[in-house]
Amino acid sequence: MDFARSPDRTPPVPVKIIVAGGFGVGKTTTVRSISEIAPLTTEAEMTSVSVGVDEPRAESLKTTTTVAMDFGCVTIDASLKLYLFGTPGQDRFGFMWDTLAHGALGALVVADSSRLDDCYQPVDYFERSGLPFVVAVNTFDGALAYSLDDVRWALAVNPRVPIVTFDARRRTSVRDALLVLLEQALAQVRQAELR
Amino acid sequence: MNNELRGTPDPEPIGRIPPYLRMPPAGAAPTGTPSRDAGNTADRFSSLRPFVLTAGRVNAIDPEIDLETQVTVRRNDPRMIRTPLASLGPEMQAMVALCAEPISVAEISARLRLHLGVTKILVADLRAAGYLDVHVADTLSPLSSDTILRVMHGLRAIS
Repeated sequence: MDFARSPDRTPPVPVKIIVAGGFGVGKTTTVRSISEIAPLTTEAEMTSVSVGVDEPRAESLKTTTTVAMDFGCVTIDASLKLYLFGTPGQDRFGFMWDTLAHGALGALVVADSSRLDDCYQPVDYFERSGLPFVVAVNTFDGALAYSLDDVRWALAVNPRVPIVTFDARRRTSVRDALLVLLEQALAQVRQAELR
Repeated sequence: MNNELRGTPDPEPIGRIPPYLRMPPAGAAPTGTPSRDAGNTADRFSSLRPFVLTAGRVNAIDPEIDLETQVTVRRNDPRMIRTPLASLGPEMQAMVALCAEPISVAEISARLRLHLGVTKILVADLRAAGYLDVHVADTLSPLSSDTILRVMHGLRAIS
């Protein structure tokens, strides 16, 4: 279509999904599998309050950290574009999620069942903020260290929060995990629309 | 922003583009070879301390500018006359060129290798100078079940 090439065309309405989780659990792989562009990286300078620094002088309480975020996108239709932002899930980065989560459809918390520690913080954050989320356990080579019931017990998530397994390297698997999240988001929005 | 639209003579002809972001006028001083600059803009940016480009301003002028906010170029905005494209710094010129097609703030940041915070500030500056449209209102529209259903439909088409 010719008009699509025109430089003055109306931009799509952007929507976003957050892909959260600890280092090395497969966030970037997840984004890469579903994105129509090779994942890009943006760096954000973050000011954070350090806890437990050796010298508690007033000046040393605030530190600046650069956080890298990987992201990709999927064109839904001519006027809607989905962005996926992969964010590190460390305690000290929690504050950046307020901006990131603003207006998001929901969050996919990617987990490694043998290292669940990494996803306590994102799970806790999204549970408190009310953003729809799904815990997606990356199966790597089909191996799960613990059953999904054990994972649910260990994370102590609300029974309404779906926990699924997926393979971050497979496009259809990522797609299905995102669809579970969107079902969750849909149920939440419909409930709000009824009120 | 409103002052600029009122048409009153502005004592500062460059609007909100700070002087350090402007290129010196052609022939004013030796500035190195332009061709080399054009080829290595990304390297040049990354070699600078991030907020040098914004004169130390660390807060985006418009807090509504989000990661996914779409940016496009404007055509023939009268404010452009006050700040010709050639007078803008290379990173701002590169930004205007990138926005020929609708692009997100996150993508501008990644493609130009500029920090996100810096990108937001420069995008806001270029918007004030009449070069860019920042589609903030589109991002803020509340999520409806219709939007979610469209995303689901689009994802199901992926195989």
